[in-house]
Amino acid sequence: MIAYLAAIATLVGIRALLTLGLNVQWGLTGLVNLGVVAFFAIGAYTAGLLAVAGVALPLAWAAAIVLAAVAGVVMAMVALRLREDYLAIVTLGFAEVLRLFLLNEAWLTKGANGITGIPRPLHAVFGRHYDIFYLAVVLAAVGLVYWVLQRVSHSPFGRVLRAIREDETVAAVAGKSVFRFKVQAFAVGAAIAGLAGIFFAHYLAYIEPNMFLPQETLFVWLALILGGSGNNRGALLGSVVLLGLLEGSRFAKDVIPFLTGVRLAAAQQMLVGIILVALMIYRPEGLLPERRE
Amino acid sequence: MPPIAQYVFNGIVTGSILALPAVAFSLLWRLLRFPNFAVSTYLTVGAFAAFAFNRGLGWPIEAAWLAALATTGVVALAVDHVAFRPMRNRRPFALAIASIGVAFILENVVRFVWGNDYRSYGVPVTRAMNWAGLRVGREQLLILAVAVALMLLAQIFLVRTRLGIAMRATAENPLLASIKGVPTERVIALATLGGGALAGGAGVFLGLDANVDPLMGGGLIISVFAAAILGGIGSAPGALAGALIVGLIEEVGTLLIPPTYKTAIGFFVILIVLLVRPTGLAGARG
Repeated sequence: MIAYLAAIATLVGIRALLTLGLNVQWGLTGLVNLGVVAFFAIGAYTAGLLAVAGVALPLAWAAAIVLAAVAGVVMAMVALRLREDYLAIVTLGFAEVLRLFLLNEAWLTKGANGITGIPRPLHAVFGRHYDIFYLAVVLAAVGLVYWVLQRVSHSPFGRVLRAIREDETVAAVAGKSVFRFKVQAFAVGAAIAGLAGIFFAHYLAYIEPNMFLPQETLFVWLALILGGSGNNRGALLGSVVLLGLLEGSRFAKDVIPFLTGVRLAAAQQMLVGIILVALMIYRPEGLLPERRE
Repeated sequence: MPPIAQYVFNGIVTGSILALPAVAFSLLWRLLRFPNFAVSTYLTVGAFAAFAFNRGLGWPIEAAWLAALATTGVVALAVDHVAFRPMRNRRPFALAIASIGVAFILENVVRFVWGNDYRSYGVPVTRAMNWAGLRVGREQLLILAVAVALMLLAQIFLVRTRLGIAMRATAENPLLASIKGVPTERVIALATLGGGALAGGAGVFLGLDANVDPLMGGGLIISVFAAAILGGIGSAPGALAGALIVGLIEEVGTLLIPPTYKTAIGFFVILIVLLVRPTGLAGARG
């Protein structure tokens, strides 16, 4: 039971990182990222591949975060040149193309077989308490990212991002380079998603392309909107509630007899979609609305 | 190995199917000011509606096609009424996110009812014709003819009829149009109904040309987007041309790159358009 709870809590922590990252992009700055899972995958695959190849772990991790951030910068610079709507499709398309790449370029990514044997750092030291140790590290990382983002959000930088979200003409008139701030915000969010990917790869010790389906991006969105976009605390709360929802509905199979595996998955995803749309219409501010300054 | 003309022909068929949702998507984007990601899922809705009428009730495919057109139009209208109408005055991105939620719901309703299997329609088996080494299916010719006819009808509607002109006026300047007495909500309802019907009809074509499965429409979103951006958002002839170009590149492109990367082509078309000519071929301003 403790092992199960620790596993759930670790996954909540990883999802919370993704949600915090999206909050910088959408919540603070108003930038649509429909490819959250791509930056997550870049983090996971870079860390996993380099670690398996024997690269020193801190170096592998740094590479993973930098690569995710650079991908974010490139996406944002291409898409934000003219119309912001394009960022939605460029990020969505990027995630899909990246997944195809992971599936088909087996020489680099091991294709559909995935990467096995990703080392679990310090496993020898903690032995059978490893899951608890890993959970503690993930939660510490969530705490650290949360703390930094809280600082950022109240800093002049964070205020500029919110100003851009509310009215970018006003922000531009105030002398802010809107484009540069947007690209930076997008890169920060992508880097945090990359960090989440690192934790994911080392936790499972195994990754494969189908762990990075487009629906994962939708789950992150739901967590953010549910918790309250623009509010880091909301991002955390949303991640917890979402996982409760996903895990809880798994047990529906025991209660409703005619539900097959496919139907259960479909019903679960329908529920995710319905909650997302209903929230967007009736409570776009989420459970914990952003505080107005 | 078939001659290059075969790929060109297949590309034209693919492009003409793609043109229907692309025009719907492009016009709705201009009219409602947000990219509606659910449009490509309307293809799935149409394909499965026709499947239900064709396999379930035993209707011939032509009747099932018309029924699918109507069903999808009504579904699109219902979606607009329930989800998008309460959000009319919100940020475009909020609507785009909601539309992804809608697409997700529709796709999973289909999956809940019919499962993940590939299915096909009950149609009489015909042999493909052979013109100088070019394999041409009768269904492909029919699809091409009907798609072209539908595009012509749509264009005549937009240019010649009062409501069509009102629709373009609303797309151009909603405030001015409503001051001039255009019933904005009625125009939106009509565009949604027509757009849904076009996309639903295209879904049946796609099912005839390939298979019917829950991901068939959603998987096209990047190609639809590419066609609309290439043609310039809000331009119906532009979206048609864009769709033909995207269809051609996707089919002929399989000569150069593995077919597994087909959906990547649409993405690269988008990137190139954004980098080289962000206003699209028609040059419409956003």
